Amino acid sequence: MNILKKPDWYISENEITDEKLFDKRRDFLKLGAAALVSSSVVIEKLAAVEKIPRASLNFTKTSFGKGLELNSFKQASTYNNFYEFSLNKKDPAKLAHTLKPNPWEVEISGEVEKPMYIDLQDIFSSYPLEERVYRFRCVEGWSMVVPWIGFTLSHMIKKAKPTSKAKYVKFITELDPDMFPDQKRGIFGNVPYPYVEGLRIDEAMNDLTFMAVGMYGKALPNQNGAPIRLIVPWKYGFKSIKSIVAIELVEEEPLNTWKEINSLEYGFYANVNPEVDHPRWSQAKERKLGSFFKTKTQMFNGYDKEVAHMYKDMDLRKFY
Amino acid sequence: MKKVFVFLVLISPFFYLLWSVQTANDPIKYIFSFTGVSAVVILMFSLSIAPIKKVVNLLKYRKMIGLFAFFYALLHFLNFYILDAQLDFAFVVKETIDKPFVYLGMIAFTILLFMTLSSTKKLFRKFSSWHKLVYISLVLVTIHSSMAQKVLSSLEYTFIIVTCVLLGYRIYKLTLVRKVSYNDKASMIVI
Repeated sequence: MNILKKPDWYISENEITDEKLFDKRRDFLKLGAAALVSSSVVIEKLAAVEKIPRASLNFTKTSFGKGLELNSFKQASTYNNFYEFSLNKKDPAKLAHTLKPNPWEVEISGEVEKPMYIDLQDIFSSYPLEERVYRFRCVEGWSMVVPWIGFTLSHMIKKAKPTSKAKYVKFITELDPDMFPDQKRGIFGNVPYPYVEGLRIDEAMNDLTFMAVGMYGKALPNQNGAPIRLIVPWKYGFKSIKSIVAIELVEEEPLNTWKEINSLEYGFYANVNPEVDHPRWSQAKERKLGSFFKTKTQMFNGYDKEVAHMYKDMDLRKFY
Repeated sequence: MKKVFVFLVLISPFFYLLWSVQTANDPIKYIFSFTGVSAVVILMFSLSIAPIKKVVNLLKYRKMIGLFAFFYALLHFLNFYILDAQLDFAFVVKETIDKPFVYLGMIAFTILLFMTLSSTKKLFRKFSSWHKLVYISLVLVTIHSSMAQKVLSSLEYTFIIVTCVLLGYRIYKLTLVRKVSYNDKASMIVI
């Protein structure tokens, strides 16, 4: 029998962008002129919101997320939870000029045979950069669809050769009060710093797990976590840690920042799950940025075929 | 004339909302925050009128200010029912029963609704003493606004402080009444 295996990023036929429009969008991206979003809804201007010019990147396009309706660059770059700058989601776009994404190094250490520092320029020049359109779902209930540019995390981790003791991966955001104003406030800061996140090793090596260095055709804007951030599309957004300086392979489950702040409401796994509510609000639906209407949230944010097998023996109510 | 001015000041956030929501990234969330903050600020303002009456006497506007607090609370509720819950009544009931964050807000809203309905001259005479429930509403609203955040910001801390001050004033007045009334019951009227 011939079973037609649909890629999982398809939602439904009526949400699929007309291919001509989609290709046109690509052309626009190539030109760096604008992100022309599908089926007539929004045409946003890139130039108006780009205060700091972003570096061009060489990347290949993929079919990841083909057909999804993109959010605009403006939406994705002016609605940021980046507490190192502010609690207000509009502020990071105005304040993030203090972040200096160049030069930048990422340290890989811990349970690896070859601990190393990876220079950002090496990533730009020698890593297989590709564009992937992913859904992004925040634990707060909003969501967006963004074309990220980057590479699989596994590509990076393999270079350091993890040992058999490497059961988890810990990620750390840069700690530098000159770059991040809120880090100057010590115990009065919005959250404890540096921001820490973690993944189980199988999650980290999953083909969807992505390290983004760009979005919408160019390098990441500072407020989106420049110069390098994690994107784990089947988990709530807070797992997708920004401005990473260190990746540590560890034996024990690392304590991620939000679990540290409030372990009753935020767990280590944080898989998108419409069945398991946040104690204060429902997770059954989501508000896609720019829309007055809510849409149903999908199990694992619609990536269940790629990731559900990793959790098949787990009680997802317990491991939220 | 003055009354028209106060009215215009209090209605202006509504028009600002109508304009600004069109460019909001997350419109439903934006309406929640905007109407919520407006309602809390105006409610606190209406409750500050008695404490500051010796400095500025705004007593004759208090009813209108209070009604405007309800107006923004009503928009907040309608945002929940119409846009957030998409008119799914069962969902609203379930959320209200399930989640302290929601039912605290709902109780506070019910109190304001009751006060609005009983704000006519005739009914107010009958129910005026019940209007002290507004302080319960104030406390619930302050907790509700803090619960709406993942991390408290200076705005929520300000709300908490103002609530404490307003309650403190109320309690201070109450103890004063008791002391005074022991000697002279007539002086209660002053307060």
